[in-house]
Amino acid sequence: MENLKYADILQLNKVMRNNIKGNPYRITFLSNITITSVKEILEYVLRINKINPIVEFGNYDNIVQDSSKCNESNLVIIFYNLRTVVESLNCFFEDISEQMYNDLKNRILSELDIIFNNLENTPSVIFNLFSLLDITSSNLRKSKIEFLVSTLNEYVSEKKTLNFNLVNTDKIISQNGITYSIDNRLFFSSKALFTLTFFKSYVSVIEPVILRNTGRLKKAIIFDCDNTLWKGILGEDGFEKIDMSRTSNTGRIFNSIQFIAAYLNKRGVIIGLCSKNNESDVSEVLMNHPDMILKDNFITIKKINWSDKVSNLKEIASDLNIGLDSLVFVDDSNFEINLINEQLPDVITLQVPVNLYEYPDHLLKLVYKYFNFSGINEDAQKTEIYKQQFFRESEKKKYNTIEEFLASLKISVSISINNENLIPRIAQLTQKTNQFNLTTKRYTENQILTFMKSSCDQVFALSVKDKFGDSGLTGVCILCTNRNDKSNVIIDTFLMSCRIIGRNIEYAFFDRIVKWLNNNQFLSISSEFIPTKKNEQVEHIYEGLGFKSLGNNIDSKKYLISVQDYKMKSIEYITVEE
Amino acid sequence: MENIKEKIKTVMIAVFEVSPEKITENCSPDTIESWDSLKHLNLVLALEEEFDIRIPDEEVGNLNNFRNIEMIVKECKK
Repeated sequence: MENLKYADILQLNKVMRNNIKGNPYRITFLSNITITSVKEILEYVLRINKINPIVEFGNYDNIVQDSSKCNESNLVIIFYNLRTVVESLNCFFEDISEQMYNDLKNRILSELDIIFNNLENTPSVIFNLFSLLDITSSNLRKSKIEFLVSTLNEYVSEKKTLNFNLVNTDKIISQNGITYSIDNRLFFSSKALFTLTFFKSYVSVIEPVILRNTGRLKKAIIFDCDNTLWKGILGEDGFEKIDMSRTSNTGRIFNSIQFIAAYLNKRGVIIGLCSKNNESDVSEVLMNHPDMILKDNFITIKKINWSDKVSNLKEIASDLNIGLDSLVFVDDSNFEINLINEQLPDVITLQVPVNLYEYPDHLLKLVYKYFNFSGINEDAQKTEIYKQQFFRESEKKKYNTIEEFLASLKISVSISINNENLIPRIAQLTQKTNQFNLTTKRYTENQILTFMKSSCDQVFALSVKDKFGDSGLTGVCILCTNRNDKSNVIIDTFLMSCRIIGRNIEYAFFDRIVKWLNNNQFLSISSEFIPTKKNEQVEHIYEGLGFKSLGNNIDSKKYLISVQDYKMKSIEYITVEE
Repeated sequence: MENIKEKIKTVMIAVFEVSPEKITENCSPDTIESWDSLKHLNLVLALEEEFDIRIPDEEVGNLNNFRNIEMIVKECKK
């Protein structure tokens, strides 16, 4: 996108505007400088990701006032520029009296408090840290403006609420240089401080926040081997001559790549291999090569064979039970990259760059864009969990009936209600779960917190264990009391991670939820199925639970059941811990 | 030289989101409805990017019809 001209972006936007429909993602910009040229660039990037954007601007220099009017926004982006503030003072800033400095500082701090308060319930906010790169100051002496900037930024970092994402615009300006980022001429005439170059980079920087909020992050990176994880072709150069050694100039690049991949796997990203090689040759390298960092324990899935990579990637997606659009594919070959781009357009591809020294950076940029490391425990154990899944599947063949098999698993579930410690994982599940998801509503951590804090809403979280291991928190149900009929509850969200599908756990979960509803004097339950491309398998869940259908339209099916009509499934072989 | 006219026209069509017929030698904010101050800013930025020029501050306000735009762009390209 950074290579596209603005005029081209405008034209592409015009075309895509007609094609990208669906639930709009509302973004509001609040700023005290003119930033309107960012609109088309942001819209373009959202549409490329198949998101339907509505981008609005608050009134000029009304950040605080307009922050109270953002109730409909999914995302609020704040550009609070200090230069405009400084230039409006009655003196040269470096000459400012102590009194005036403190007044100014305190005024801004209380504005920030109001902003944090007003935006507390906004799903997501992006706040640019205060910067002085557009203000001329001495490089050698610390200036008063510098003090102000660090004080303000410290305050923001400390007091910000959960939903705030802080952006360091200085890093963005460094990327392109001040001359190409800041336009003093247009700032003077129309307060338009930033250049198109800056805005293109800015939008790239914030893109991951939007991808995360709309559930478009990826789950796995699949690497080719030859000239992707090591220098050389194993089949031609042999075990001895392939290079990934820290001590050689080219080898050390591949060494870095492997370290990065191992790191990613530890943080919950699935790492796989897809290579045209003899399986035994590659296994030999993985097990015995002294310089191999990315060993078997970091690799969840391997397709080492002579079949085409399209089939292999399709198999990988199906084996892992994830969509092709959750994959990133890395390969050095023009042929393979073009093939995948053409045949599997949903897969994101990365070609090893011709300038090898750029490879680690390109990989990292891609990773920061498409993956989110939230540091949650379940993530770190993911490879283990996927491996446990393989063991479970192989056990299946031993039993005569599915019920016998399921009973042998010794499944036990525990359900917690409104547990704030589980918020990150709960939010993550709403963002990532596609198949067993009745309404596919994506929520940020802040939105889950809001549900939990409200006395009218309840967030149920389900954790599952069996004899093979602990799958962790894998089910979520959000109930909202009907504001018009307090005895009726609406199921806003009912989802389960694909890891635990097919074991009737949803019935145990639902039984428990209805028990709670009974104890809390609810008389009826309303629910909804919103069809998507991926959740076909749960189309009739509510019928299966005894709900009556209230009629469909194209967008959703609605249901109702009275609590006393619900028949408990009482799955014997699933223990429910309180 | 014709190339410059064509490029300016393409940029203006994109910025104002109008059909090609609306970009005439005489078009101005009076003939193009969407041409407000914010779009004018976008026009300046897009022209500068397209021709790799920097339009002096005094001239920014003078980009108010096709002929003037062509003249200023040619001046800046020297």
